[in-house]
Amino acid sequence: MERLISIEIPNLMLLLPELVVLLTAFVLFSLDLIYKRINHVLAIGVSLTGYLIALFLLLLNLGLKGETFYGLYVRDSFSTLLQIFMVLLTAVLLGFTHAYYRHRASIYGEFYYILSFALLGGMFLVSSYNLIVLYIALEAVSISFYILTALLRSDFNSKEGAFKYLILGGVSIALASYGAGFMYLYSGSLDLRYVLTHLGENQYFLILGLVLFLIGFAIKIGAVPFHFWLPDAYQGAPTPITAYMASFGKLAFFAPVVRLMPLIQEHFSYAWVFTVGIVSALTMLYGNLVALAQKDVKRLLAYSSIAHSGYIMAGIAVAQIIGLKAVIYFLLVYALMGFGSFMVLALLERASGWENRLEEFAGLRFSLPWLAVSFMVMLLALLGVPPTVGFVGKALIFMSLSYERLWWLAFVMIVATGISTGYYLRITALMFMKGSSKEIGLKVSNVEKGLIMLLTLLLAILGAVPIILWSLVSTSAENLFMR
Amino acid sequence: MASFPLVSTSMLLPLVGSFVLLFTRESWAKWVASLFSALVFLIALFSLTLFNFSEAHRVQFEEVYPLVPELGLKLHLGFDGLSYVMYLLTALVSLSAILWSTRDHQINHREKEYYIWLLLTETFLVGVFASFDLMVFYVFYELTLVPMFFVIGIWGYKLRLYSAYKFFIYIFVSSLFLLLGIVSLAVFHFKSFGHYSFNYFDLLKNNYSLEFEIFMFVLFLIAFAVKTPIVPFHTWLPDAHGEAPTAGSVLLAAILLKMGSYALLRFNIGLFPEASLFLMPIMVLWGILTIVFASWFTISQNNVKRFVAYSSVSHMGFVVTSMFLFNAEGLRASITEMFAHGLTSSALFMMAGFIYNRLHSFNMQALRGSIKFMPVFAVLVVITGFSSMGLPGGSSFWGKFLTIVGAREYTVALAFLVIVGAFFSALYVLYLLKTLYLDTREESRLVHYVDIRGFKLLSFLLMVVPMFFVGFLPFLFFSLYDPYIQNLLQELANRVMER
Repeated sequence: MERLISIEIPNLMLLLPELVVLLTAFVLFSLDLIYKRINHVLAIGVSLTGYLIALFLLLLNLGLKGETFYGLYVRDSFSTLLQIFMVLLTAVLLGFTHAYYRHRASIYGEFYYILSFALLGGMFLVSSYNLIVLYIALEAVSISFYILTALLRSDFNSKEGAFKYLILGGVSIALASYGAGFMYLYSGSLDLRYVLTHLGENQYFLILGLVLFLIGFAIKIGAVPFHFWLPDAYQGAPTPITAYMASFGKLAFFAPVVRLMPLIQEHFSYAWVFTVGIVSALTMLYGNLVALAQKDVKRLLAYSSIAHSGYIMAGIAVAQIIGLKAVIYFLLVYALMGFGSFMVLALLERASGWENRLEEFAGLRFSLPWLAVSFMVMLLALLGVPPTVGFVGKALIFMSLSYERLWWLAFVMIVATGISTGYYLRITALMFMKGSSKEIGLKVSNVEKGLIMLLTLLLAILGAVPIILWSLVSTSAENLFMR
Repeated sequence: MASFPLVSTSMLLPLVGSFVLLFTRESWAKWVASLFSALVFLIALFSLTLFNFSEAHRVQFEEVYPLVPELGLKLHLGFDGLSYVMYLLTALVSLSAILWSTRDHQINHREKEYYIWLLLTETFLVGVFASFDLMVFYVFYELTLVPMFFVIGIWGYKLRLYSAYKFFIYIFVSSLFLLLGIVSLAVFHFKSFGHYSFNYFDLLKNNYSLEFEIFMFVLFLIAFAVKTPIVPFHTWLPDAHGEAPTAGSVLLAAILLKMGSYALLRFNIGLFPEASLFLMPIMVLWGILTIVFASWFTISQNNVKRFVAYSSVSHMGFVVTSMFLFNAEGLRASITEMFAHGLTSSALFMMAGFIYNRLHSFNMQALRGSIKFMPVFAVLVVITGFSSMGLPGGSSFWGKFLTIVGAREYTVALAFLVIVGAFFSALYVLYLLKTLYLDTREESRLVHYVDIRGFKLLSFLLMVVPMFFVGFLPFLFFSLYDPYIQNLLQELANRVMER
């Protein structure tokens, strides 16, 4: 492949949404500098305006394809789809955060622009093949997350979680960049598309580089031997941020790995299947088993999030188009389910004396029927009961496993799902079958109520009418595969 | 009238009903629910005039709505002879269960929720039997779990929570194997024809190797053996049936178990003929063992409800045995027995619920000789008992008799084994009747016996009257599914010859 040095005029149209988000971040940053105490209505207004413009641009350019900055930045329907979800999640998050922070007496103006920077990092992370860009974007998301996790004054858990996250996050980024170095050594290029399709000598460098790179991402994802930070960080973080990490974080950190799938070469696809399969099996078994023993619902959902990483990785093991589709679908719907379920906790934590203990959920159906029904739907979706989106996702993963004839992994997944039945059902049963009416001093604004109900409806409707999301997922996967 | 969307109407009506219930007053809930289930029942009766009996092997009342074209996912609804019988049973039993609940003392709180769940169950059950798309079938199959989980867990008796968990976990986990099997079939179809399909008739065209076919057969069997249930997998059943409120047990025994045997017949035998033939001896013997073991378990029960629950297992043993005999008599026996057991087990669970309302106990010793103080009720119970035992003229007679005939076509020894099973199942019914009816009762306690009447009588009669139809006019029923059976046997023969 001959490379000529040519001057390219960057096509800024492609990354207009990112530019809008960047602008929003800077406006928020300046606002925070100008005002001593930031006006939250103003900050939320500015953020929402920016995000909605970005969303509008994204929707407008749904079919847009192209590369710019010498191939550093790629826009295809995969990145657009993920970015739409990311922007939406960030915008919805803003509907919940202020009331939560006020309740915890921990209000910071920094929150708004750090959130914007996290979003910006995530948007770049899903739309590049270049190792350096991936590295920078990964850092942007991670550093924002460390800070967001620690944003609870006077809460020890928050600090502890953030600190663990910081240390292991640092290790992960070190490993990933080290791996990137080996890949460069192997191929002389930083573009993953070139690295992975290039047939050079010294394949160990490639393997070593890829393994280190993937371990870096595995830490971020929470895959099992590298998951130790996750429960603490998820539990310590302010709950809306936990929801954000579980949804947005998953989308962002999985995206580069998903981009690798079509590039896996025939001759090491066996090793890929085997390694990813083993990690996936460990992750789902461990996550579900430990979740079963939890008494704290927030921590329980954190472990369930680990388990879901396992299911997604089972799909990643199948480096075929059906696997790719399954993974993208599952990623998107897990973002919705995880976001919703943690957000329910975020609401409940504002009730007086609420500590997220399991037994506190007894009788929730009598005190807050709408919330109990929503939470039930989310839990059933996480469990994978039809016709929710969780079921469609699981069915697609099974389909891809059967495509590759990975029966053992399919059986492990059945066992893991069986284990998960225990704790999802326990919460459901507590809410509906035990306890009696008791007063929960909880004021929920109509916006929050509406958003939770909307999410619940989405989980059911997108599952019952799968064609809506499927058509988007399918085209983006095909674009990714057929390049 | 041919284009009247009968299937989707009977699925949508209960759904609409449950939606209406959300906005009605608590005290009206039972009447709204009764109204909607009665409407479904009327539609089912009306559909008898439209159903083409001679073409019962074809899918009638067919409706097709595409869901996801790329995956070949379609909402393919319709009835052939087999599913039509199940549909009639569903409409009948649901109505009867809801009518019974209106006077059930157990349902004294959260009535709106209760009837919403019951109506949803009815929708899902019709969906199960009407779906010819395997994925849609699976969706409805799983969906029936959710309402039953709540019905058992909220309105059940003492051990309700434990039983609800057990019920959900057993069925949910076992049916994940079914899900894996279904998607594997679709993937197989993709690999051989280039497009995904979950449609039953498309999947019939797949050409599997014997090993793969047996593997798939086993995946499907895991789910259906738990659901049907066959003996080592039956342990969820006595708990779920024993602790559910009466209407819940009725629905569970009469229809939810039939989902298992229905699917075993439709999918395991229909889709995997070679594997079925290969495993036939095992399945037949397994069925007979189920009959014998379950009968023993039954006799040793001291709780009337668990007694009836275990008797269901032994009946399902007959259904499985006769199904895998692969001859016209066997299949006839199997389907007739499915219908007949739906009637008798419902009636027996109603009996248990009724006595509990009067005497507040399920204990056999405490109930000794109690029903003779309620003559009408006693007559109904005795009719049901003899029907269930397989006395000629009773509904289960044809199931048992034709199983024996079907087994005789192979060897006398096999027929003899079936007779042994039938003997045991007669034994426990006689024991039940003797305990409840003939034993002497010291009237030490002041018990106010009031005979069965009103809605309870009506819903009991809804079960008892059809028993006579099955018993005395079996050919009415045979004509519903004989073309289906002929067609199935023909197809099996063709497909086995082809290889």
